[in-house]
Amino acid sequence: MRLHPLTVVYRIGRRAVSLGWGVVVGFAGASSIPFVDARLVVAALAVALLALVGYEVARYRRFTYALAGTTLELRSGVLSRREREIPIERVQNVDVSRSVGQRLLGLATVRVETAGGGSTEALLECVSAAAADDLQTDLRRLKRAAARGDADAEDATGGSGDARPGGEAGAADGVATTGGELDATAGATDEAEVVFDLGRRRLVLASALSFDVRLLSVVFVAQPVVQPLLAPLVGDLAGVTTVVALVVAVLTAVALWVASAARTFARYYGFRLVRAGDDLRYERGLSRRYTGTIPLEKLQTLAVEETALERAFGYASLSVVTAGSVGSNTGGGSAAAVPLATRGDVLALARDLEPFADAAMERPPTRARRRYAVRYALGVGVLLALTTAVNALVTPLPYAWAPALLLVLAPVAAHLKWRNVGVALTDDHAVVQRGFWTRRTRVVPHDRVQTVAVSATLFQRRRELASVAIDTAGGDAVALDCDAERASAIRSRVAERAVDAVGARRDGNDSH
Amino acid sequence: MERLHTRVLLQWSAGALVTAVVLAAVAGVVASLDPVPVPVSPLAVAGVAFGIVFVLGVAYAVLRYRSWRYEVRADTLYIERGVLTRVETVVPYVRVQHVDSQRGPLERLLGLGTVVVYTAGSRGADVSIPGVAAERATALQERLRDLAIESEPTDAV
Repeated sequence: MRLHPLTVVYRIGRRAVSLGWGVVVGFAGASSIPFVDARLVVAALAVALLALVGYEVARYRRFTYALAGTTLELRSGVLSRREREIPIERVQNVDVSRSVGQRLLGLATVRVETAGGGSTEALLECVSAAAADDLQTDLRRLKRAAARGDADAEDATGGSGDARPGGEAGAADGVATTGGELDATAGATDEAEVVFDLGRRRLVLASALSFDVRLLSVVFVAQPVVQPLLAPLVGDLAGVTTVVALVVAVLTAVALWVASAARTFARYYGFRLVRAGDDLRYERGLSRRYTGTIPLEKLQTLAVEETALERAFGYASLSVVTAGSVGSNTGGGSAAAVPLATRGDVLALARDLEPFADAAMERPPTRARRRYAVRYALGVGVLLALTTAVNALVTPLPYAWAPALLLVLAPVAAHLKWRNVGVALTDDHAVVQRGFWTRRTRVVPHDRVQTVAVSATLFQRRRELASVAIDTAGGDAVALDCDAERASAIRSRVAERAVDAVGARRDGNDSH
Repeated sequence: MERLHTRVLLQWSAGALVTAVVLAAVAGVVASLDPVPVPVSPLAVAGVAFGIVFVLGVAYAVLRYRSWRYEVRADTLYIERGVLTRVETVVPYVRVQHVDSQRGPLERLLGLGTVVVYTAGSRGADVSIPGVAAERATALQERLRDLAIESEPTDAV
């Protein structure tokens, strides 16, 4: 199969836009240098454009791809030719993205990634949107068939669809719309159900709540600096500068909030999560559409995140952390499964993906809270020493003693931090929680645990505290400041359960 | 519980020696540039710096040696270490990807080796046992490899 013919137009257009600046510079240069005729520049540009067109046409003609049984074959290259075969069972991810330009032309870029290496193994730029969807579906279908060692791919698709537990749709009802809304391409080729649809209302809400409240403090802390700068501009009538500075602060805060909301809005516009067999597939994005798969068999941990704002309104977000090259956009690491939903819905969906039992969080002993209070008080002390030193040695500061007021907040901050730290162990999972501004709750299945480590710094040992780091292939989950003996107990228990759970899974696989 | 070979003290002390020499040289040069008048000679400054850093380094090496323990258990490898931050690590054999034994020039001279256990975890090659006698390192590597194969996982992640 070939790429879409309009690829040539799209790629030349994109190149021309990026070279546009060079053209402008070229003309400006030509008019200022007397020896160079403007006509020469035009001619050079024309030659360059012709060469570009020739190259793109040749690239288009040379590039073929084929899905042949168990491999994806690619042939490409204008000057140096390349043939590549990718075994389909090795394919990890198939991502489809569409930029604004591509959407105007009805095109899409397909990236196929395997586990090895961080780069994209196959880049199809561009195919038609329909072909991209087909390819994504076909690859998934063939991969599943290959994994079963099943010759008849069609049967395999049907089988997996039937095998799905019936209760699933019911369990996710709170967040699910029915499969009836699926568009024709996805519905016809694969049995997929929409697990989560963000919708307009929640998108707006998510955008509004996406703001990190901590940024506000920066704005108001900056005020003493802004105020003297404003003074010469507005005149120094008593009180006027203060009012103006306040207005500026409020306006900046609003601007930051709008910017953050706009970013979230563009990012999660039209977010939808679809479950097809063992894969989750998401679509999102306003200016550039992203489609990606989250392979559930590679699930390492689930993370429920709640910012302080979201917590106040009873909302949360869910991300699925998979194994793979952490840090790449889709090849692994963390992928948002649900940008925003009520806490109950998020937990229901999380349990649907990885059924974990309910367990009460154990908070660290209260001496941990004393430790945090001392730590914050020391921080305030350092700040105070700094401002006093600057006041005495460098330049007089009007409120050099002001940081001392923060001392009152140290116990409050310590309590808030302490109240959001916790750990819980169930038969099959370890659940770990931390963070006040953004509270992260991580659920780690015991059969995903790689190593367990208990660590205690000098200061922790003084108060008989220790932290337990449970490492997985998708990052570690740390239970902060447990009682030292409890930490050892957690370590032994998790390690034991990890050995058992992996063994049990192996036995289960063997009996098939 | 096994401990490291005592010769590892020599290896770590040699590291402390290098650090001490470098820092002493820096201190000596700064003192000889004389930005603030110091009544003592640069050589004395360098000597004192060397003494302090070397003694601290050796003391740290001793404490580090005394904190190290490891044990090859039935299902897991257990490691305990750390002077300022104590760390106890448990690695289930089912999770072991491969086992390396490394021997640097100094280690070869002292007849020591380092055994490194790799898992698929995000902490990567976090688990290494330094200062193991050469023949013990080879034996340990083979034992860990056998244990890892015995408990063969179907899926490393």
